[in-house]
Amino acid sequence: MGLAMLWLVVAVGIMLIHPTILFQPHFSPQVVSLTHAWMLGFFATVACGAVYQLVPVALSTSLWNETFGWLHFWLHGLGVPGMVISFWFNRYDLVGWFGGIVIVGVILFSINAIRTVLGSKRRDVIAIGILIAAIWLLITVFAGLFLIANRLWGWVPLNPIALLRAHAHLGLIGFFLTLIQGVGFQLVPMFTMGQVKNWGPAKAGVWCTQIGLLILIPGLVMENTILEVIATTVIAVGLGFSAVGIKQAMKDRRKKRVDPGVVVFLRGCIGICVAAIVAIFLAIYGSTRADAFSGFNAMTYAILAIFGGLLPCVTGMMCKVVPFLTWMRAYGPWVGKRYTPPAHTMTNAKLELWGLGLQQFSALPMVVGAWIVGKYWLFAGIGMLTVGVILFLIDMARVLRHLWKPDTTPLVIPGAKANTN
Amino acid sequence: MEVTDESVWSALKTIPDPEFGINIVDMGLIYSVETTENNVHVIMTLTTENCPSGAWIYEGAKTALQSLEDVGEVQVDMVFDPPWTTDMLSDYGKAQLGFA
Repeated sequence: MGLAMLWLVVAVGIMLIHPTILFQPHFSPQVVSLTHAWMLGFFATVACGAVYQLVPVALSTSLWNETFGWLHFWLHGLGVPGMVISFWFNRYDLVGWFGGIVIVGVILFSINAIRTVLGSKRRDVIAIGILIAAIWLLITVFAGLFLIANRLWGWVPLNPIALLRAHAHLGLIGFFLTLIQGVGFQLVPMFTMGQVKNWGPAKAGVWCTQIGLLILIPGLVMENTILEVIATTVIAVGLGFSAVGIKQAMKDRRKKRVDPGVVVFLRGCIGICVAAIVAIFLAIYGSTRADAFSGFNAMTYAILAIFGGLLPCVTGMMCKVVPFLTWMRAYGPWVGKRYTPPAHTMTNAKLELWGLGLQQFSALPMVVGAWIVGKYWLFAGIGMLTVGVILFLIDMARVLRHLWKPDTTPLVIPGAKANTN
Repeated sequence: MEVTDESVWSALKTIPDPEFGINIVDMGLIYSVETTENNVHVIMTLTTENCPSGAWIYEGAKTALQSLEDVGEVQVDMVFDPPWTTDMLSDYGKAQLGFA
């Protein structure tokens, strides 16, 4: 999580120093560099860390191989910065080398995640979602390496930009969306004392996404509008199923007051649904292939999907998961021996609401800015994002502080022999 | 000093559920308490079988009971039948969780 937060600072820092990157087409080296800082640097680091920490707990099993996890951490930590820097300076030969390092790490991660899931007894949509997401991540990074090799040596006469879009959607939908659609049904009921009575919509959501992605990839590679429209529609229907499932789980929840982190996660899910609908229109109008610097194009769609959907989903859940994991490590062994503060008291609700809210709604001025090439809109959006990220990081730092400076208030047990602290 | 049901309930009240911040007694996680000649037998549950902090709550309850003065044998059994429901929350617990 610490590495992910560092990447969050780096990714926002790049946007702050070079805001007009968002005016560039989505395939320009700097945009690709920034995208990898966000997707591999921040989102993938959080997601992989969450898989290592939460999957064994959620599936009542233990991580298959912790050494693989640490090796992945170091390879990821070495490879991703190299990739981001190499992309920025247009050094595709170096991207290949650093990408190779990242791939070795992802292979270790995928084996670990798959073996962990298979080692548990669970075979529900949560377990299957994690399994499929790990496979898609592996495919995504291999596709990325192929893309670089093809650019350097020209193996296959296909439009490299079309291949780039396919690679991006493998990661965005195959890994991140599948993970959210699966793990969301573990986390939302867990944090709201809810329950999933009917698993049908959850299953239908994940499977529609998989079918849609399998249609989308050839559609994007072959630049076939019909396939793209069918695929984006199937994915949107899948998201609709997931939304119905989550809505039912929320309706059946026992905890009526919903924490800010969960609220923002749900708002992020709505953002993803909006981005999916936008994707259908992009496909219908053939705008996915637009190379123009402005207008309704892949950049506006990407900003909406990443900052309006994925970012609130991930940071919202971080506001729940990070305090909980911190509590487990800092206070779990001390229960019954000394005072242990509730996990939710480690965060500050106002910092969460403002921080996460500013992050998500920064997508709107950024979309307008990228659409009309309006630099003030863009500056406003990036400014909102920066303030939102600063507030979020302050909140997370307050939580992580408990690892080094735990509350050591003695526990007073009436009738106890002596203070057990 | 004699260990009574009351002292056991009071000790268990010091153990919080980390997610909801309510002690395990008001959460309704304690099904029964029995004290016989300073020996303690508690039957408890968790909100769900897969509760990630379940092991810590269980160990914490045991530790708190073992710290009671003159306590004899402490036995804490974890059961999931009947499963925990919100009806088991105390009035205080319900108010804390926003129940009407």
